[in-house]
Amino acid sequence: MDIKLTDKALRYFLDTPSTPSELAHNISLCGPTFDRYSKVADDYLYEIEIITNRIDTASAQGVARDSAAILNQMGIKTRLLHDPYLEKINLYPHLPKTFHFEIADSSLVTRFTAVTLENVTIKNSPPETKTLLTLCGERPINNAVDITNELTLLYGMPSHIFDLDKLAAQKLIIRESKRGEQIVTLDNQVSKLNGGDIIIEDGAGRIVDLCGIMGGQIAEVDQHTKNILLIVPVYNPSNIRHSSLYLQKRTLAAQIYEKQPDSELCLPVLTNAIKLFVLRANARVSSSVFDSQKGDYKAKSIALDTNWVNTLIGINIPTKIIISILESLGFSTTKKDDSHLTCLVPSWRRFDINIKEDLVEEIARVYGYSKLPPTLPCINLLSEEKNPVLKTETKIKNILSSEGYNEIYNYSLVSKEQLEKSLLEPKDHLKLQNSLSQDFEYLRASLVPSILQNIKNNQGKSEEPFFLFELSNIYLATKQKLPQEISKLVMATTNNFRQTKGQLDLLFSHLNLKSYKYQVSAITPAYFITEKTATIFGENRVIGFIGSIKPAVLHKLGITSNPTIVELDTEAIAVSISKNYVYKPIPEFPGVVESMTIKSNDKIGDIIQKVKSSSKLISDLVYSDSFQNSHSFKITFSSPEKSLTQAEVNEIKKSIQNLFN
Amino acid sequence: MLSLIRMANNYKVTIEKIKSNLIEDISKCSTVNELELLDIKYLGRQGEVNKLFKSLPIKENPLIGKEINELKNLCSRLLSEMTDHLLGQSPKESFDVTVPGIQLPKGTRHLITQAIEEIEGIFTELGFVRRRYPEVETDWYYAEGLNIPKNHPARDDQETFYLAEDVVLTAHTSNGQLREMERVKTPPIKMINIGKTYRRQADTSHSSMFHQFEGLLIDKNISITHLIGVMDYFAKSFFGNDRTIRLRPHHFQFTEPSFEIDISCGLCHGTGVVKNAPCKFCKSGWLELGGSGMVHPNVLKNGGLDPDIYSGFAFGWGVERVLMMKSGLSLPDLRLLYTDDLRFLKQF
Repeated sequence: MDIKLTDKALRYFLDTPSTPSELAHNISLCGPTFDRYSKVADDYLYEIEIITNRIDTASAQGVARDSAAILNQMGIKTRLLHDPYLEKINLYPHLPKTFHFEIADSSLVTRFTAVTLENVTIKNSPPETKTLLTLCGERPINNAVDITNELTLLYGMPSHIFDLDKLAAQKLIIRESKRGEQIVTLDNQVSKLNGGDIIIEDGAGRIVDLCGIMGGQIAEVDQHTKNILLIVPVYNPSNIRHSSLYLQKRTLAAQIYEKQPDSELCLPVLTNAIKLFVLRANARVSSSVFDSQKGDYKAKSIALDTNWVNTLIGINIPTKIIISILESLGFSTTKKDDSHLTCLVPSWRRFDINIKEDLVEEIARVYGYSKLPPTLPCINLLSEEKNPVLKTETKIKNILSSEGYNEIYNYSLVSKEQLEKSLLEPKDHLKLQNSLSQDFEYLRASLVPSILQNIKNNQGKSEEPFFLFELSNIYLATKQKLPQEISKLVMATTNNFRQTKGQLDLLFSHLNLKSYKYQVSAITPAYFITEKTATIFGENRVIGFIGSIKPAVLHKLGITSNPTIVELDTEAIAVSISKNYVYKPIPEFPGVVESMTIKSNDKIGDIIQKVKSSSKLISDLVYSDSFQNSHSFKITFSSPEKSLTQAEVNEIKKSIQNLFN
Repeated sequence: MLSLIRMANNYKVTIEKIKSNLIEDISKCSTVNELELLDIKYLGRQGEVNKLFKSLPIKENPLIGKEINELKNLCSRLLSEMTDHLLGQSPKESFDVTVPGIQLPKGTRHLITQAIEEIEGIFTELGFVRRRYPEVETDWYYAEGLNIPKNHPARDDQETFYLAEDVVLTAHTSNGQLREMERVKTPPIKMINIGKTYRRQADTSHSSMFHQFEGLLIDKNISITHLIGVMDYFAKSFFGNDRTIRLRPHHFQFTEPSFEIDISCGLCHGTGVVKNAPCKFCKSGWLELGGSGMVHPNVLKNGGLDPDIYSGFAFGWGVERVLMMKSGLSLPDLRLLYTDDLRFLKQF
């Protein structure tokens, strides 16, 4: 949470020679961060980020306490003033009880203190109070309300006032709200309660306070108010948090209460409030102080080995400095021996300090992180198998980008519509319980729908052909709790099958993937045209598909070209990559290259197989093109023993032709 | 004798003839290739000079030999002079060096990939090993085991996507911490886990999907100064040797102590001032890099390690964030990194 404080408010608690800019800089390094400071009239305004577990610093006195410890450690002589924990408390025991009080459920309230005041004069606050409130983001209302708001800023403890005469029977019952109950709050809004909010009901059964968040209008203090009921309570933080989030009322009080302020501050704040009411509103105390639970804070103790502290920090901080840091923050320490301390945690740190590591943080930050020297750890791991998928992914990305492919990062979440356009079943996909929108609702089980969308999105914007790829995890539902996460590669081109297959072969060749083959598919993912798709087999395992997309899919997506899509399993590739390189001797005798046309109705792959296996003297065979059932090839004939004569070559050619007669 | 004299006159005529023929032939040549043919025609084994030489009785008249040698020298001088001349000539046709090259399709690795590879490279130098852990995770690894109990307010802040009551899309990569501890069992641990993360929010500075890199180092006697050393090494390697880091106190459930790491602003070099005006790029001289801290003893316990023996540090930072901070790309919208527009992708 962020708070605003003026320099004057801070210096009410802090006597230091530091200038505002020094304060902002130094405190930021060791305590709450001063995001900004700016000059305003005759004062400075700080914008301070409070660390979430340090609600004790969400006030001028809290920042001052941390600052005093930090500045002194830096050698800047600083004193903490007006420490509320040293405040003399008067409970006015001789005065009568003027109100009735009942806590229906003790778990709702940590502590509740209250007192009444009479003879109150409502008027404007003094100018300096108005300025303080305005600068810190609060609206001045009248002298009485302003006192409570000012004390929140100064002490980090919210309080509230009621017009005592407006409370039926001067009676207060604290209870949980029921669903559907309503309250009109001071901001003139009607809040419909969800149940579980902490509220105060008066003697007539009216809700007069939305506790810890905002008061009710019924008992609002106005210019006619004469008698005031002042309360300084601490509530159950989780009730306040739920109400405040549910009702979207993120008041300063709510933000403080949901983080549990120190209940030991109730009476000091009540005492200071009384002083200000006397001073500014001419008031007199009219009741004894009500306190639901006497202050009986028992400090927890944490044992600390200073050698261990220094090992964890990494330098040697003398024990006496460790002690001085802890004591300056309000811890009391007892020294057992040179390196063993017992530390008692002050009440305002009871929630964030629990273990010895918490104390290390206090010591190290106040000592100064900037004084710790950067040290590289000299720890080395034993050699072990690296993840082959990660390595392969990097290689694939490098190869494809040098082949002219552009890498895309798509969202892992897709819409139902996107799946359906690609003929995939949404029910086969994992669905979010709390998606932000229908556009991002299902986890991808294939990268193809996204990359088809990428083609569509680029149509007409960039010149075709497109060469796109994406490498990402897909998430498949399993019988176990967690889905299977599989690294997939998808390539998409607006080129034809042969050109794309050639690029895929080049990728495989660069990867040193040797034993793979393309086979006619029996089963393909729904978006592929089965007849125009090949299944790619590695060693006994499907590693992917290459093929064309069904016209229905293209039509639904509005894709005007005829893309070729390659879908591969990265892990299957990674494990199929050959670790060996095989050397083939360079032929000693020059080969004879001849063109041949073969007439056959066989598939070209089969023709190539047939030709290649027909003679050992065929060292290379390159397919050129086809016209109807005539297929032309360039064939290289060579022998490792001699130069072949034309007659010998002709003989082989004849035998090849004979294969197809 | 007479015949000898006739012969002498005759060969002198032939020599002159050869000379004039050669000069005429040379004058017609425009390429070195043509000159090489002339070289063969005149000076080759079957060339004019040799033919003449063979037809004369050299032994009887050494003078003839001398003259033919002179002819030979002259021929080769003329030919080589012309060769030099032709080779030294400026090209005749005009040539435009500003003509554009033939464009090949430009392939690209995505900016995020480039950043991930650089990050991985830096931590590899320090001996960290890259791992991959689930991007969809159970509540234990994602939260409870990381010292974030059910109903803890920290859970509200994480804005998490749920697949089931206790299965989430990870909003951070810290689940890898517990999984790596379980895998290794006995430290040392030095890992970097880079993966996709998801957060239930989307605006110009956030995308609902992004990438994080999680570092974890655990061994005996690991200290805050080690954390600073590694963070400093990364910051200098990734952003430049002139940058410095600083630590500010912070709070995370799974580390204690916890830090926010800042890096000095590259524009104002940590001063917060550029040309007497406040720096527009940073908060008073420093930029937030990300969180880090010493692994909380409860997290070590949950990972099966004894916090009395082992200590360590961890950090989890946004890939997109450090990428944007480094490159000075000044993209108006971080979500541009997730566009599929080739006009964007082909720029990098």
